[in-house]
Amino acid sequence: MGESETMERAYSRTRILVMLGIILALILVDHLNSPTFAFNSGQGNVETALSQRDETACAPCGAPCPSTRN
Amino acid sequence: MTDSAVLRSGLQQPAWQVDRFIVSTALFGLALLGGLIWLETAPFMVALFVLGTVLGMALYHGAFGFTAGWRNLVVNRRGAGMRAQLLLFAVTSVIMVPMLHSGQEGLVGAVAPVGTSLVVGSFLFGIGMQLGGGCGSGTLFTVGAGNIRMVVTLVFFIAGAVLGSIHLPWWLDQPGFDPVPLVSTLGISGAIITQFVGLGLIAWWVNRIERKTHGTVERDELLWKSQGHGVLRTLLSGRWPFTWAILILAAGNALTLAIGGAPWSITFAFNVWGAKALEVVGVNMSQFEFWQWDYPAMALKDSVLTNIPSVMNFGLLLGAMLAAGLANRFNEASRNRPEGRQFLAAVVGGLLLGYGARLGFGCNIGALFSGIASASLHAWIWFASAFVGSLIGIRLRPWFRLPN
Repeated sequence: MGESETMERAYSRTRILVMLGIILALILVDHLNSPTFAFNSGQGNVETALSQRDETACAPCGAPCPSTRN
Repeated sequence: MTDSAVLRSGLQQPAWQVDRFIVSTALFGLALLGGLIWLETAPFMVALFVLGTVLGMALYHGAFGFTAGWRNLVVNRRGAGMRAQLLLFAVTSVIMVPMLHSGQEGLVGAVAPVGTSLVVGSFLFGIGMQLGGGCGSGTLFTVGAGNIRMVVTLVFFIAGAVLGSIHLPWWLDQPGFDPVPLVSTLGISGAIITQFVGLGLIAWWVNRIERKTHGTVERDELLWKSQGHGVLRTLLSGRWPFTWAILILAAGNALTLAIGGAPWSITFAFNVWGAKALEVVGVNMSQFEFWQWDYPAMALKDSVLTNIPSVMNFGLLLGAMLAAGLANRFNEASRNRPEGRQFLAAVVGGLLLGYGARLGFGCNIGALFSGIASASLHAWIWFASAFVGSLIGIRLRPWFRLPN
């Protein structure tokens, strides 16, 4: 038998499942209220972020260039 | 009692134990979330989710921590971790700089403005790295591996990132100038060679420090062979030689660019998560300038499953969890409960990490790794400034009862 079988488990299974469940629920709630879900449900004229590419931005976060800020 | 599965692959090797609960939970989570992404978004998002998972495993099994590598150089005068990072930047820039300038439509590099915001942000981030216990990727993969203190760091990382997003426009109004892509002045080959020279000089400095203290230089970063186990077992349960992690991380960033259109980034997702959480409790984030810019505004409005950094981060978390389960080391770092000051370090470190990452246009992955892979000047300034901040963070660690 392995050494860890005699060692007390360092985590609570329930806590892990609850935490992951909460995260999944938050992701689902967020998604169900999103334009992408609306689009998938058949609503037209919805702009989604799925194919969004911000090639005009000055930084990965979408910030504008200092030269254009004024 | 645990119910780790014990796998014996021969009399010579110690028994390989797998935490079946963690492994099956991680696999179930990956299948569930992967299926949801497949059903609701697009195949390329599933590919990025899988990529995030592989990167999470690579970070965990390779023990590829930027924070520890920097600290090891400063405190123990050992440079293997630092050299592994430099090697990673070199390999990736050879692949990605030509990719970005191949004329292919829709590929955007990690370039960012240079100025007050960048210097201050990366400096604060460097302090936060040492207090919080990890950078962006380090925080995520340790949380995935069940580290309780790093969960605190992550929560405050997110809070700091949101605060940083609110303040970023003010910082951008301070002295600064537009991005400087090295390729525009040096050409593709010139940019790669210049960066190689820069990385080589840093490696020479690292070696000099190590040799001066220890007389020799340990070449751990160049090891190809695993220590004591077969290739398959090492691949699944770790610990990987640095070279394996370097190749996977380099290929992963290049694939992220090819599939997603932009290099690998992590911390923008924290902004989105934090802003969404505030909107839930009634804060109108659209009143802040940052959240009126096209990309953040759309990311805030739409599902996290359409946001590339978020999807890759979910994969990274579950990938690290899977890797920790396969190594039977899930939650290992939390066996000794952290004391008050260590939690305080996680709070302060997390806030500095988040705020600094937003001002500095990313973390060690988005600003440094992807920035150098895009041959952008800002990445080099980020590197220098964050390293100085890290030196201060290392000096502060003992007060927070953190070992150096």
